[in-house]
Amino acid sequence: MSSMTSPDAMSSSGTSGRRLTWLPRDPTVLLAGGMLVAIIALAVSAPWIAPYDPYQTGHIPFLPPSFMDGGSPDFLLGTDQQGRDLLSRLLYGTRNTLLTGFLAVLFGGGTGVTLGIIAAYFQRLDPPIMRCVDVLLSFPAILLGLSLAAVVGPGTLPVIIALSIAAIPDVARITRSTALVVMGQEYMEAGRAIGLSDSTLIVRYLGLNCIGSVFVFLTLRFGQVILIGAALSFLGLGVRPPEAELGMMASQGRDALFFAAHIATLPSLVIFVMVLCANLLGDALRDALDPRMRNL
Amino acid sequence: MGQQLAYRLMLSVPVLLGVLVFGFLLIKLAPGDPAMVIAGPTATPDVVEKIRQEMGLDQPAIVQFWRYMSRVAHGDLGKSMINNTSVFAELTSAVGATAELMVACLIWAVPVGIAIGTIAAVNQRGILDRGIMALSVAGVSMPVFFIGLLLLQYIGYKWQLLPFLGRGGPLWTPDGLAHVVLPALTLGFVFVGPVARMTRASVLDVLKADYVRTARAKGLRESSVIIRHALRNALIPIVTLVGLQAGYLLGGAVVTESIYSWPGVGRLAVGAILASDLPLAQGAILVLALCFVLINLIVDILYGILDPRVNRS
Repeated sequence: MSSMTSPDAMSSSGTSGRRLTWLPRDPTVLLAGGMLVAIIALAVSAPWIAPYDPYQTGHIPFLPPSFMDGGSPDFLLGTDQQGRDLLSRLLYGTRNTLLTGFLAVLFGGGTGVTLGIIAAYFQRLDPPIMRCVDVLLSFPAILLGLSLAAVVGPGTLPVIIALSIAAIPDVARITRSTALVVMGQEYMEAGRAIGLSDSTLIVRYLGLNCIGSVFVFLTLRFGQVILIGAALSFLGLGVRPPEAELGMMASQGRDALFFAAHIATLPSLVIFVMVLCANLLGDALRDALDPRMRNL
Repeated sequence: MGQQLAYRLMLSVPVLLGVLVFGFLLIKLAPGDPAMVIAGPTATPDVVEKIRQEMGLDQPAIVQFWRYMSRVAHGDLGKSMINNTSVFAELTSAVGATAELMVACLIWAVPVGIAIGTIAAVNQRGILDRGIMALSVAGVSMPVFFIGLLLLQYIGYKWQLLPFLGRGGPLWTPDGLAHVVLPALTLGFVFVGPVARMTRASVLDVLKADYVRTARAKGLRESSVIIRHALRNALIPIVTLVGLQAGYLLGGAVVTESIYSWPGVGRLAVGAILASDLPLAQGAILVLALCFVLINLIVDILYGILDPRVNRS
């Protein structure tokens, strides 16, 4: 009976909570999580720790990193073709890249969760919502990005919108299937029997119990969102210069690739490390919460 | 199969319609009156009005949209605003290059992914397995342009092993083949990881099946059990995966074309968007959407061939 009155005890995250306890001891999780936290911390504190103004031109251009031949100790990671300090630009660029990804996951994930829960709770709305989701699913993110950039011109906002829309359908589907399982639980019926309102049932009972698995999925998706966003910026469809963004910085470094490769390579490397950490973390979370998926 | 295919075909209608509506709006909402532009700055209002009537711009939006659709259906996508060339002609010359790149990518990436995924599954939890899986996670996490820039810098420029600019000619000529190698390697690299992961999971699944035990029990060689019995059935999820990844393939192709100046539709689209050449951008995006729909259709058909149960249901 106690399980009927306490939705949290029956939740999927409740049963897997025990499995989550070994996560902090997994070396991969420790390493990937630690790296990701460190990168986020560096990016957030960019205005305070960046050694130079990221937009200030006029230092010696094409300077290699200080540990390479010809590098200067004043510029730890060298300078770009306009003589801007690369370390400062990398810090600010990571900030912009991460922010784009976070906003896209937040908006897309939020909309997806809402749609999925509404579809599961109000069964009459299920078919129309899910058909729309199917249609959205057939629009690849890159097409959305290109189309939006064509209509409103390149910029950060169209990239965020495109990435958000592209994230909606998968999240909506995962949420719906999780929510349908929760809908069959006894505590939902109990909640309804004691006269709870729809909004309470949806938010407190359904929403909280779905959020765990959706969160794991969003972690898995975060890396991909960053990759697509960086690709759009690389193509010149994202942030406008002189703003620093990793994808765009890699693209600008292309012209100097053969004699100052670090200008293009370093931003690409930062993206790679961030996405790798996010993917490893997502994989570990998924393994912990759903051992059946471990082989994937 | 028929039903499945019909549903997928139906789903592709909104994609194409959506792109068409978008293309129409793009030209409609663009700043400036097209009739004024064509008439020129010295034209009298009468002349502008006449041109407007000729172009059907005085009609309601829905009529204009219908005319636009029928023009597109006849292959008339307007003229590029920059070169004044026919958009249709530009696209037909570019679409071959994109198709060539995609085929060249899939031709090496899918078999390699299946091969290393199977090796990983057979050596489950061994060093080989761990190494392959680590590589595949790294591959999935790599931005396409990073791989492209690395290959271009080392193989193309420093070691001068392969050409890295543009397209050399038809695929069957040595020059054409040499030019496609780096772009195809770049685009395929992103693909090997997911295919290997999926193959490993699906072979591991199949290896537990009764018919694999039966095959082993009747004394077949292990290689024959793996290749003839396990892998064939494991292929079904892999084909599905290729379909699911079609969007990434498309995105990767756009980036790859831009890195290697590969004269495909993706590069055309990006160039047109950056130059605000609306008719060309809209035509190129339409063709990219068509590519996407086509890849998914081919995957669905393959799916039916590989899994006879799909046909029966």
